[in-house]
Amino acid sequence: MKGIRNILALALAAVLLLSTLGLAAFANERVTITYSMWGDNEEVRVLQETIDKFEQEQDRIHVEIVQIDRADYVGTLNTRAVGNNLPDTGIMAEDAVLMWAEQGMLADVSNMYGEGEAKPLDSLAFTFDGKPVGYSVANEVLLLYYDRQAFVEAGVTPPPAKAEEAWDWDTFVDIAKQMTLDVNGNNAKSPDFDPNNIKRYGVMLCPDFWQLEVWSVSNGGAWYDAEGNVTIGEPAAMEALQRIADLYLVHHVAPQYGTNTATNVDQDLVNKSTAMYVNGQWSVGVWLGPAKNSDGLDYGVGVLPYMKDKVTLNTGGVNVAFATSKHPAEAMEWLKWYAREENAWGLIEGGIWMPVLSSYYTDEALTRKWVENPNFPPYDEYKTAVVDYAFNNAKPTSWYWVNNTNLFNDALSSILAPAWSGNTTVAEAITAHLDQLKAANQGN
Amino acid sequence: MAVTRVKPSAMARHEARLAKIYLIPAFLGLTFLTYLPLLSVFVLSLFKWTAIMPKPLYIGFNNYIRLFTKDMFFWTSMRVTIIYALLTVVGSVLYSLAVAMLLNRSIRGRGLFRAIFYVPYIIPAMAIYMIWGLLYNKDFGVINALLVQLGQPRAGFLIDSKYIIPSLALIAVWTSGNLIVIFLAGLGSVPRVYHEAAEIDGATFWKRFVHITLPFMSPIIFYNVLLSLIANMQVVVPSLIYAGSNRTTYPEYTFMSFLMYRTGFINNELSYASAISFVFFVLIGLFTLVLFKGSKNILFYESGGN
Repeated sequence: MKGIRNILALALAAVLLLSTLGLAAFANERVTITYSMWGDNEEVRVLQETIDKFEQEQDRIHVEIVQIDRADYVGTLNTRAVGNNLPDTGIMAEDAVLMWAEQGMLADVSNMYGEGEAKPLDSLAFTFDGKPVGYSVANEVLLLYYDRQAFVEAGVTPPPAKAEEAWDWDTFVDIAKQMTLDVNGNNAKSPDFDPNNIKRYGVMLCPDFWQLEVWSVSNGGAWYDAEGNVTIGEPAAMEALQRIADLYLVHHVAPQYGTNTATNVDQDLVNKSTAMYVNGQWSVGVWLGPAKNSDGLDYGVGVLPYMKDKVTLNTGGVNVAFATSKHPAEAMEWLKWYAREENAWGLIEGGIWMPVLSSYYTDEALTRKWVENPNFPPYDEYKTAVVDYAFNNAKPTSWYWVNNTNLFNDALSSILAPAWSGNTTVAEAITAHLDQLKAANQGN
Repeated sequence: MAVTRVKPSAMARHEARLAKIYLIPAFLGLTFLTYLPLLSVFVLSLFKWTAIMPKPLYIGFNNYIRLFTKDMFFWTSMRVTIIYALLTVVGSVLYSLAVAMLLNRSIRGRGLFRAIFYVPYIIPAMAIYMIWGLLYNKDFGVINALLVQLGQPRAGFLIDSKYIIPSLALIAVWTSGNLIVIFLAGLGSVPRVYHEAAEIDGATFWKRFVHITLPFMSPIIFYNVLLSLIANMQVVVPSLIYAGSNRTTYPEYTFMSFLMYRTGFINNELSYASAISFVFFVLIGLFTLVLFKGSKNILFYESGGN
């Protein structure tokens, strides 16, 4: 009995010794870093192919994927932070970047790109204390999608694809009225129009709350100033939001804001429950391209209408290196390599991501390489309505430089609920709760 | 008067010792999985701490002061959670009892009906809320189409502050198949003899229900009310599906569990979320206590015990 025990103990010790030696030998040659991401198994498969390519090009860095559910993404990273078990690098939700930067959890990436190297667009850098803490992995802008067939049938001019031809707000409302139909086929300009029985709305807005900021900016206002102070109480910012509420309350051309709880842009366009839809560029890859291929949806894309300034917002999930990483140099090398367009080509080609390097917006050969594929609307339309629009007219969403936007948006979204249903006005609602909005901006 | 303690027999002592040993696993489980975490939640609520802060900062009861005096969501959250729970508890207990009594009769295809009423309970919540979302849709939903046919105005079931809570409560009532099963088991145990005797004496259905069924069922009703109350106070699924984070959120969706989740895991304020959950725990505890105290005199046990 004792003999067996001794042998067992010896064997265990030998295994331990060997594995330690093995690890040490391995570590000298190759560093393993982790990259966390949200996405389904298909996206993991695409990413793994990309990583395989990275590992073929060099043999010092091995990248392991940490797949986390989108809905619990930041929460899961939090838990890992508590357990001192953060990945080395990862994608990060836009509204959490500054909070993590403020706590010193993100590495400063200002030296990631050297002098003269092709860099992402400036509007895609998240900054804290004047230093970049991450670049968006993709560009995204807000656009106006529409059902081309519906416009042809109605004999109405579809949304313009060029920023210089963008509709002013009154024209937009007028067109939306012409495209809104009740069950008897009367449009919203007809005296017989029945606002209680609408079959197809002129326009719908994605209920992702942060998108509303674009209208305040378009009206010459802003939710925050350059220092991140709350400016939503100023008339221009509030007036724009009232105009959004009035699309439903006054003009009957859109459902009450935030109501399309169970549907997406493709379903609403395929079902013909709306003629136009405001949402981000990712809709092309996630919904509209697939709907074009499977349901034959003939969709078009145009620039947003404007109030004072012809403007859209840009955003995009961020790749960050965590400050806790033991291999910061390798982490940044991977991120920089991964940010090159050719390495995320599947997502760009599919229409989910827009490139981040400026050359794709200015060099026609590169633009054609990106845009000419069956998921997209015709090249000429997409080129001016999306590529040029994103390059010339896009401003960053406020979370690129303002902290606590999630707290602020939770508060504002709750405060504005009675304004969407017309129980109060936007100005009354915001003015009455301005202190709470300012407190939310401060993290309380 | 001196009380002489009877010395327990060796057998009894042995059994007592054995019982204590058998209780150890349960005791350990409760201690490490319930009481200690509860205590640590309370301790954490006295600090300022986001998971990514290097060190928690002791701030006494400031989280509670902020919650009760400054938080714009807290009182709304309390109100909607309590109203929702009360509506749901009353609704689902009445509905389940009624359905159980129907299913308890000797009707053709009873097994099939039992299965049908139980099905909503086992459908994934996501699917249930998506489908009800379509039914409730103000512009294109079936219910509103019916209302229009009847000449009524459209109702924003999921977007009008008047309707949100009752609409959500109705979904919860519809899914209360588990209560039906418990009621059915209870109804099976009501002795037939009393019903037969009452029938011979010419008692109406209603009289038999009030004087026989209800007293016999009272402990089961109490159990179902308790179960349903605790479960429904913790409602969170409709908020996650219809409101979510960074979506447009009407205040009626800010249930306590959702507020807790959003504060802790979306907005990173773990210690503040601990304060919310501790207050929430006390609230559920109070409701349970009131229920136990209030029910003492109306519960009926056949054995005569209480």
